[in-house]
Amino acid sequence: MKWTLDFWGNARRHAILTVSILIAMVISLAQLFHALPADSLPQVKLNADGIAPRPIEELTGHNVTRAYAYAWRDLAAASESNRADLLNDYFTGFAKDNLAERIADQRRTGVSIRYIDHGHNVKAFFYSPDGGEMQLLDNAQLEIAILDGGKVVHQETVAQTYLVLMTPGADRWYVRSLDPVNK
Amino acid sequence: MGNWKTICLAVLCAAISTAYAADLQAPAQVTAGTAFTIPTSGSGDRTFYLVGPSSVVKKSVKLGSEIEIAADQVHAAGRYVAVSCGSEGCSSASFYVVSGSPAKVSFLLHPSRVPVTAHDAINATAFVFDKFHNPVLRPVEVDFRVVPKAGPAFTKSVKAVQGVAWMKMSPTPKEGPVKIIATIGSNEEPRIIRQVASDACNLHIKARRTAKGVEVETDPVKDCRSNSVPDGTVVSFTAVDSNGKSTVDAPVKKGVARTELPITGKAIISVASGVVTGNEIRL
Repeated sequence: MKWTLDFWGNARRHAILTVSILIAMVISLAQLFHALPADSLPQVKLNADGIAPRPIEELTGHNVTRAYAYAWRDLAAASESNRADLLNDYFTGFAKDNLAERIADQRRTGVSIRYIDHGHNVKAFFYSPDGGEMQLLDNAQLEIAILDGGKVVHQETVAQTYLVLMTPGADRWYVRSLDPVNK
Repeated sequence: MGNWKTICLAVLCAAISTAYAADLQAPAQVTAGTAFTIPTSGSGDRTFYLVGPSSVVKKSVKLGSEIEIAADQVHAAGRYVAVSCGSEGCSSASFYVVSGSPAKVSFLLHPSRVPVTAHDAINATAFVFDKFHNPVLRPVEVDFRVVPKAGPAFTKSVKAVQGVAWMKMSPTPKEGPVKIIATIGSNEEPRIIRQVASDACNLHIKARRTAKGVEVETDPVKDCRSNSVPDGTVVSFTAVDSNGKSTVDAPVKKGVARTELPITGKAIISVASGVVTGNEIRL
């Protein structure tokens, strides 16, 4: 009888311990995934209802949306770490030149810029007949902090409109021009 | 009582500091590449930052004087944030730099070769920029001047929307190079498109017996607009005789295609190029 009681007592303790470990693992994994920047792509919503003169194919829409989200992820990482090489994957042309120029200035002055991205409502309005260029207007919700040597000197939340030109490359779309405009 | 005086003085000093801190008076809008000044009030040294789309400026300034912003520090259009920091904190102001007058046009023309019968197949897209390569967003007229090899030149004017003007057009009737020039003000960007003949039309062959068989030759191969088809265009000759059916492909050389068929007896010879068929010869 005593043996039986011990057995059930041990079994209950083991079960509680196992469940506790599982719960802890689930919570830790959830926190880990939440903290990983690679998994926190900015939210991009593309609306191509009014696009002209060429209609957009569904797959192209997906690719543009994904590339634009990755571009913003890279822009934020490059601006905060002052590493222009992070712009290589999704930026080209004037967009890349301008951002690289700014990051060079940031390195020189010790300034860095931190973006907290709250999403992009993107409207595609021009897609050239040959499929070589796409123009978009992005209403971005951003928190921007300017830091000097790690100290925040300015912080703001802005709704900023960007005029974007994207062009297709061999395996992805690139941001060729990213101009903040006053709307 | 003495404590109250100290507290009031501290509050007054803080209020004055805050007032000075908020004294950065940036203009609402500046044209790209234009030098300007930001007036300040108060006294003391501060660190000034100007963060724009393609530049970051950091320098020490003295309050009470104007902060000079050089032309090359605001050549990129977009939103700029000016920040002034001192021991009592930072103040900031934002402003927009807008593009200047249209000065450059970036011109894309597709395709590079086009058959003369391809309807609306030529696409021209022009992007309008100022001299610093900022997109000019206000409506601007772009002229597309079309200069064919034969026939009169003509111009199509298109209003740019959000910095882009585009048009599509059908080729002119005759083969040969066509120059299309996108013009904005005095800036011209020429591109050349090669118009080629369309499919062969009215194919016609003639035949004569030779020692080895029958030599078959086309008349000059042209499309329906009398443009010579390019050399290399394949013409197929088909012969049906007592041995059955045989086909020989021959490329057009100097406007005609020819071949020799090993036929000795009676035969029917026909010709085709692509989907176009020509006449038949009975020997």
